[in-house]
Amino acid sequence: MKMKIVKRLWIILWITLLTCSATVTRAADLATVLAEAKVAAGQTDTLYSHFTQEKHLDIMAETLVSQGLFAYRKPDHLRWELLTPIASGFVLRGQQGERWNGLSRELEAFSVDRDPIMGMIARQLLAWARVDLDWLQQRYVMALVSEQPLQLKLTPRDAGEAGFIDHLEIFFAADRRYVEQVVLVEKSGDSTSLHFTDVKVNGVLPDNIFSAPVF
Amino acid sequence: MKLFQTCYEKLARRRGRLFLPVLLLLVLALAWLPQLRIGDSIVAMLPDGNSQVARDFELLQKTPFSRKLVIQLQAAKTVSTADLVVATDRLGQRLPADLFTHLQSGPGDMGKLALFNGLGKYLPVLATDQDLKTIAERLTPAQVDRQMAENLTKLLQPQGVALKEQIRRDPLNLTPLALMKLRYLNPLPGVRIEQGHFISADRRSSLILADTPVLMTDAAGARRLVDAFQQATAQLPAGISASLLSGHPYTLANTEIIKSDMSRVLLVSGVGLLVLFLAFLRRRQALSVFLLPFASMLLALVVTSWWYPQLSGITVGFGAVLLGITIDYGLHVYFALCRSNEGRGARLQAVARPLLFGGLTTLVAFAVLLRSELPGQRQLAVFAVTGILVALLLALLVLPQLVGTAVARPKVHKGYRRHLFERRPKLRWTVLGLWLATMIFCAVGAQQLSINGELRRLSYVPPVLAQAEQQLAEHWGNMRGRAMIFAAGADLQSALQRNEEVWQRLGQHQLQDQVVSLAPLYAPLAIQQGRQQHWDDFWAREQSVADELLQQAGAKYGFTANAFAPFDQSLSTDPGPIDLAVLQSWGLGDLLDNFIFQDGPEIQVLTLLPDRPELIAALDSEFADLPGVTLVSQSRFGRQLSRAIAGDFSSFITTAGIVVLVLLIVLFRKLSDVLLALLPVLSGLLFMFGWMGWLHMEMNLFNVVASILIIGLGVDYGIFMTCHSRESQDLGSGRAILVSGLTTLVGFGALVVARHPALYSIGITVLLGICAAVPTAVLVIPAFRPKRW
Repeated sequence: MKMKIVKRLWIILWITLLTCSATVTRAADLATVLAEAKVAAGQTDTLYSHFTQEKHLDIMAETLVSQGLFAYRKPDHLRWELLTPIASGFVLRGQQGERWNGLSRELEAFSVDRDPIMGMIARQLLAWARVDLDWLQQRYVMALVSEQPLQLKLTPRDAGEAGFIDHLEIFFAADRRYVEQVVLVEKSGDSTSLHFTDVKVNGVLPDNIFSAPVF
Repeated sequence: MKLFQTCYEKLARRRGRLFLPVLLLLVLALAWLPQLRIGDSIVAMLPDGNSQVARDFELLQKTPFSRKLVIQLQAAKTVSTADLVVATDRLGQRLPADLFTHLQSGPGDMGKLALFNGLGKYLPVLATDQDLKTIAERLTPAQVDRQMAENLTKLLQPQGVALKEQIRRDPLNLTPLALMKLRYLNPLPGVRIEQGHFISADRRSSLILADTPVLMTDAAGARRLVDAFQQATAQLPAGISASLLSGHPYTLANTEIIKSDMSRVLLVSGVGLLVLFLAFLRRRQALSVFLLPFASMLLALVVTSWWYPQLSGITVGFGAVLLGITIDYGLHVYFALCRSNEGRGARLQAVARPLLFGGLTTLVAFAVLLRSELPGQRQLAVFAVTGILVALLLALLVLPQLVGTAVARPKVHKGYRRHLFERRPKLRWTVLGLWLATMIFCAVGAQQLSINGELRRLSYVPPVLAQAEQQLAEHWGNMRGRAMIFAAGADLQSALQRNEEVWQRLGQHQLQDQVVSLAPLYAPLAIQQGRQQHWDDFWAREQSVADELLQQAGAKYGFTANAFAPFDQSLSTDPGPIDLAVLQSWGLGDLLDNFIFQDGPEIQVLTLLPDRPELIAALDSEFADLPGVTLVSQSRFGRQLSRAIAGDFSSFITTAGIVVLVLLIVLFRKLSDVLLALLPVLSGLLFMFGWMGWLHMEMNLFNVVASILIIGLGVDYGIFMTCHSRESQDLGSGRAILVSGLTTLVGFGALVVARHPALYSIGITVLLGICAAVPTAVLVIPAFRPKRW
């Protein structure tokens, strides 16, 4: 009996030591992997991909699944477009952009300076596209969940954002040059996941990709 | 009666008894000078009492907008908006806090403003009947279906995370109805908000608004303020410049230009007076003539200060100019006495008659100003009347004892003009023909003369400030030149009630979109309570309809049955009234201070509107029956002031004309003499009006007051020359008038070299008027009456 207890204590001790060791290693590794990710992302000039968005919302009877495409050109050009179930999206060129709604066939110009919500969205998307870890670290507490493939867990520092966002999980591609999947978990338990597919890095993008569609 | 001859002869034997009391009087007057309180406000030159101009001016002075410092930063095309914003913040930090207070470069970070989050909650007390009608129109299956699709689209977008709770609370998207109330509250027509800063539409300009404890009329304070501003702007990065717009740079520019002008004018007039002295007087005793204006001004100042405890600086300035007229009295006495030592008493007695009549007509002309609506002109009347009385007494009693013995002169002194006209009779007709042609030419030009009462025209505007004003108007709209409607009340609620009535009246004229008003956002409590009641009644009728429509459309787009439960809760929640504390909690405190201010025992609430003459004319009658409501338009203010000045001037000219005419009739008792005596003044005025008309110069306040000098001098010249033509002995009047005219020209006409509009106005008036009055007196009067010469 006594031997059994000692044996269990040894096991607990080893597990504790291994866990602590792993935590220390991961804390030390976070800075390294972030630096590596930053270097890898620094080589990205353009991105083009399709994505699938799944929203699990308490107010919706079913999961909202939508398809879309995403394009980015260094330093500040973006296109975010939902193709189904409702065609809508926005393009951004520096500080100015247009958003559209295929349902109402409305096109509206905006400026990130004048539209605080679009400003916040644009900053977030650009930060992820550029892998702007300095900016992200100012806004989020980062934790390394997995080194290979690189997976991070981000908790908002800003009280306003923390009011409705619990955390984000970021999954990087194997070569760490772009983000492959993002999961956003809200305080209410609702969540949104974005999965990027057919990602083309540094491909040639047509000029009109950062223009709004004509209705 | 030979009063002055007797006095002269008696006092000649006891000069000490005369000089001692005069000297004592002057010393006492000098000692009194430090007691003088001289104000520098332009108010003295505005109609007082209950005139609308005076009330408008008082209200304009009280508006917080009129006291604001406006700092505009201008960026070159190579500078980004972000850099402009950084430079704006750094400039704000460098401005000293003791001189620049309540700095405001924008409404702050709009994303964090409580206003946008909190305003929707207050829709029940903001929504008008029209808003409720709009909401009712939205409660149709098609409209709600469309809105639900919009809600789903928003949820699917990245911003959906932030908007989810908003959609739950407001699935019908009613919040914009509340936000619309803010669009009437933007005092900067061309503004954009970027990064929490005021940015112009072309994104090349930013703005800082500030207050200052420095009074607008404090030249030394303005110097400190402008220096501190320039020191702070010296560190702006390349490509960014800044300009300060407020009354202070104008005060400073005007003070400095006047100083600089006075140096130039004093140099020109000093040299001119020296030349005149050497050419016509050349004697140490003749200097006593020049003491006359100074002594009369000194005593007039003291007497006027007994009458008016605070003198207007403008009155004192003008008074000094006008009392220049008194040098003439001295010149006439001097030239009459210094011709010979024989019969001096008789010559003094002979010259005393035109001198007294000239002085009396001028004195009465000035006395007419006592009826003026402008308090400054009434002060001027007391000042001038006193000064002229003193000058007459000094000229007839004291000066004769100072001019010394006569200088031996060549025998050929019988009057050059007489000989000229006698030798060359044709020349007489040439002079008369030229004079008539000039007068006809001037009469035509005078038809084009107009009066401009705009006060800003009287100030010097440096090109840099004019350019900055123009840039400000281009980038931000006409923020410094709008009309204002003041709604006054004994307390805030009654002022807000009147402001609401103003708003409703503006609505009747479809003008609400053109004005800046607090009314849509901040209605009086009674109105808010009424709106809350209407809101409750509305939803008591419509809530079940709305719920059913939301359920149907929501189900179609996949929303759960309780997705919009927060909407029902919000309908049953009373947000309470919007009050000052709520508005301040939304960060609108600084803005409110511009629209609501204490005015003595009353509270005033402001509405701004475009200052268009046709609009102001229409609204003037509209608000006439609203007690406590005053419409103040800067352009109308100028027009009213023009009318007041024109009315005052017409009244002055008419009354003075009648008085002068009566006095001339009493003096000469012969129509031809009266007409002759009037020639210089009429010619001087017509010449002045005519040339100002031909040169498209507008008559302003300073021209009007300076023209009184022309009237005074012109009448004197006429009286002297006509009297002289009737006298058997030569009193030297022609020479005295010539020297007097030239003295006036170099003394006051020299102001024409000044750059300050007010000084220039005096200069051009005197230059034109005297240039015509003197030749008319010394050439045209003798040409009309050659036989007596």
